Amino acid sequence: MIRTVNLSKIFRTELVETTALREINFEVRKGEFIAIMGPSGCGKSTLLNILGLLDHSNSGEYYFDGIEVSRFTEKQCTMLRKGTMGFVFQSFNLIDDLNVFENVELPLIALSIPRSDRRKKVDAILERMQIGHRRDHYPRQLSGGQQQRVAVARALITNPKLILADEPTGNLDSHNGEQVMQLLEQLNAEGTTIVMVTHSLNHADRAHRVVNLFDGQILAERTDRIFEPQQLS
Amino acid sequence: MIRQSLYMLFRRFINDSLFSFINLTNLTVGFATFILLTQFIASMFSWDKHNENYERIYRVQLFQDQPENRVRHSSSITAALSRHELTKLPEIEKIVLMHDVGDNNKSGVFLSVDKKDQFLIRYGYYADQTVFDIFTFEFIEGVPQKALTEPFSVVLSRTVAQKLFPSGKALGKQIYGENKVVLTVSGVYEDMPEKSNWQPAFLIPMQSFTAFTGWSDYTENYWAYSFYTYVLLKPNADPANVDAQIHDALKDYRKEHYPYLRPMSMLYIKAYYQNDMLIALGLFSFIALLILVLSAINYINLQTANAITRFREIGIKKTLGFTKKQLWSQFILESVTLAFTGGVLGLILAHLMTPAFNRMIGINALTSIFSDWKLVLIMLGVSILTGFLSGIHPAFAISAFNPVTALKQKFIQEETNGITLKKILVTAQFSISLFLLIVSAIIYKQTAYMLTCDMGFESQNLLFANITTNGSGSFDALRQRLISHPEIADACQADYIPYILPGGNEMNWEGGDPEEKVFVRISHIGYDFVSTFQMNITTGRNFSREYPADLDKCLVNETAVRVFGWKDPIGKHIRTNNKNVEVIGVIRDYIVFSVHNPTEPHMYRLLPDSISTDKVYAVRYLPGHEKEAREIVRNEFERAFPLDAFEFRHIQSLIQNENAALAWQRLMKVSGFFALFSVIISSIGLFGLILFFSRHKMKEIGIRKVLGFSFTSLYYTMASSFIRLFIVSIFIAWPLSYFVYLYLPGAHKYGIQLGEFVLCTLITLAVAVATISYQIIKAVRTKAVEVLKDE
Repeated sequence: MIRTVNLSKIFRTELVETTALREINFEVRKGEFIAIMGPSGCGKSTLLNILGLLDHSNSGEYYFDGIEVSRFTEKQCTMLRKGTMGFVFQSFNLIDDLNVFENVELPLIALSIPRSDRRKKVDAILERMQIGHRRDHYPRQLSGGQQQRVAVARALITNPKLILADEPTGNLDSHNGEQVMQLLEQLNAEGTTIVMVTHSLNHADRAHRVVNLFDGQILAERTDRIFEPQQLS
Repeated sequence: MIRQSLYMLFRRFINDSLFSFINLTNLTVGFATFILLTQFIASMFSWDKHNENYERIYRVQLFQDQPENRVRHSSSITAALSRHELTKLPEIEKIVLMHDVGDNNKSGVFLSVDKKDQFLIRYGYYADQTVFDIFTFEFIEGVPQKALTEPFSVVLSRTVAQKLFPSGKALGKQIYGENKVVLTVSGVYEDMPEKSNWQPAFLIPMQSFTAFTGWSDYTENYWAYSFYTYVLLKPNADPANVDAQIHDALKDYRKEHYPYLRPMSMLYIKAYYQNDMLIALGLFSFIALLILVLSAINYINLQTANAITRFREIGIKKTLGFTKKQLWSQFILESVTLAFTGGVLGLILAHLMTPAFNRMIGINALTSIFSDWKLVLIMLGVSILTGFLSGIHPAFAISAFNPVTALKQKFIQEETNGITLKKILVTAQFSISLFLLIVSAIIYKQTAYMLTCDMGFESQNLLFANITTNGSGSFDALRQRLISHPEIADACQADYIPYILPGGNEMNWEGGDPEEKVFVRISHIGYDFVSTFQMNITTGRNFSREYPADLDKCLVNETAVRVFGWKDPIGKHIRTNNKNVEVIGVIRDYIVFSVHNPTEPHMYRLLPDSISTDKVYAVRYLPGHEKEAREIVRNEFERAFPLDAFEFRHIQSLIQNENAALAWQRLMKVSGFFALFSVIISSIGLFGLILFFSRHKMKEIGIRKVLGFSFTSLYYTMASSFIRLFIVSIFIAWPLSYFVYLYLPGAHKYGIQLGEFVLCTLITLAVAVATISYQIIKAVRTKAVEVLKDE
């Protein structure tokens, strides 16, 4: 599903050049659950942003479903992103002025889906995430775990092929963190590809494969669980 | 999506109520001010429109020499021109010839039912029956067809009818004019609307003109410019054709005097070719537009400032796949919605303020905005357009944010060197505020100057009356009796006094080209005119009882000396009516008619000692003795004029009712109005601006605080960028304001002073510094940790 060839990213200011990613060669197969680990500033989030088409690399190639997308325009990126990718953030990134229902509804609006269909889909996903009873609440009225469940619901609402999660449990206590992890495992089991950045070894162990980044380079890859593409069928 | 955007807008509006309040107040006040000023300007162009034939009515006027010469136009022409030349023209459907009853410039005439209760009525006219065909009258009693057909009839306006006959009908009743003639009321008409240039108090048939004035051959007279003529052109007739045919109609009588038609639509705003009113209204339109622009700039600044609080929303939406276009539309929609709301509230505010505005300017110039749906729609259109145009910049800025940085809520630092749009907006904001304030001050001072300036004579403690009499006697004797009272300082007679404009003639002067003539105004004055009005003789001497030959001599004013190019005026001669008249003294220039007009050459002849016919009497009393003086004056004049009606008034009443003074007073009040509102809008704008900057600089302040910077240095950091832009705006606003001063109408201008500019600048700066301080103190007081933890 994802393949990068010599992907590099350099942040330039007038005086300094910082290499965030150095010739990353990396592959994610359909249905895989990948964890990316590494110390602060090693380029984890930059990589995730590039994979999510929120940012561009300076050089190298990025193939998404076999298509080279690294030179896509902003508009093309937006078109590809919506409906295909879901994002989960450490800080949830819910919109404070919208209630739970409306937050989850947002990606469907971006896809111009009719209102009645939106309602059905949102209700269904909220039930599934067990937050249906909170649909009219605002983010500030929810606990961290609940907020993250809303964020996951929002990421899933369009049935994306790929979920990009940037430290989804980073702001949660262990109990809530565990719940979110179970949710992700369940999604993965249903066939969604997941790339997750995490600091937690324990959570990384739940992935098929762990990629260790250091100073913008892949130091090691470790396979924890055997990933069998066939099990998808 | 639209629904959701509006929901969010509404919720944010409730959640950030201070900001929303400021934002909406800015728009509402801006629109309301714009609407009121627009209405005021529009009302100036809608005078006389109550006449059904408005489009086809023209006044016949004439100019001498050049059309551009503003003082040399006459709104009245000769009767012969009207009776003989105009009747030949096929383009003209109806003609009305009119003449003042009495002298409307002086005081009017006295009307009474019983010769006892006299009412001084100004603005009565002799008029042909056709006046009702040309102008639109609304009759309450009688019918227009018969109103002016009988000699010695009179048609009264409602106001005059109610004065004379407070309880009942006037039709068919008899009244006395000046206690001398009997008139029969043949009709009563509704008073002309306020916005009518011509406000006749009563009308008398033209056919009685000779009987009342003793002037029999007036219809053959090509010299006396005292008759008004209005014509109604046939539909589709070209006024230019008429102009061409009448242009030389007077060439056999007066060279270089050219009659022409002036459309009724022009009579109020540009009766002759002078642009004063248009310049003033143009200035006002410009100011109205500036206020709207100022309000829009504020709005842009406020919206952009607010965008910073929405980084996260933008980041999230972009991540979730909202396109730039979708976000752009969302922000434009928000902007238009807010501006539209401001527009609606502005309309309501304007509607509520209309009565106060009318009271302020002294006439009911404005009707409620809601009575004109076209204007309402236009204003709502303007508000939508404002919202759209002001939304473009914030919408672009917002929708262009990179989602990653937006999510991290990092402020995208704009380059600090070079000219950015933001700097332009801020400078424009400062410049417009400063400009509006200085211009208001200039207009205010100019008006105040016109109303209180040194007029060249002392206008306080001075009573005057115009008395027309068949009696005779010595004025000196009357004067002696008057000044024997200690309360009376002086008294004089004259045919014209300041603010009652005399006619004049074209004259040659000694040392000048015999072919060249100059129009010189002529008035006749008694020995004590100069002393009563406390004028000054700059050269030579005043008329004196010790020189009987003074009856053949004259005085002139300084302007005449200047125009004639005389070095030593005493002993020089002026040629008028084929006689050479010797100059014995020069009166210092004074304002003859209006501060608005330039002073013209003026010649003064001595009045023989007699109280016969038509004179103006002026009495100066000692300050603080007005009550006693009025009593003395009434008694003495009743003794001298037992059969005549008169009424003494303050000369101030003439000055304050003078049209130019009224117009300027109105302008002063309106300018005060917009000054106040532009200061309010500017303050709101500054508040928004500084909010914008301080939200930008929060992090910097946080870091500086952690590092132990003092309050003063924090203050300096925040304020210095504003002060620089403020200085730039001074360089823009000052010259522009001075330009306005230069082009401000009025012949007599006050001396502009640097102090006014400095004061206005200090006021604007004070508002700026106060707002800056509020924001800075707020920013500085915020805990550094709060600011920094987002990073």
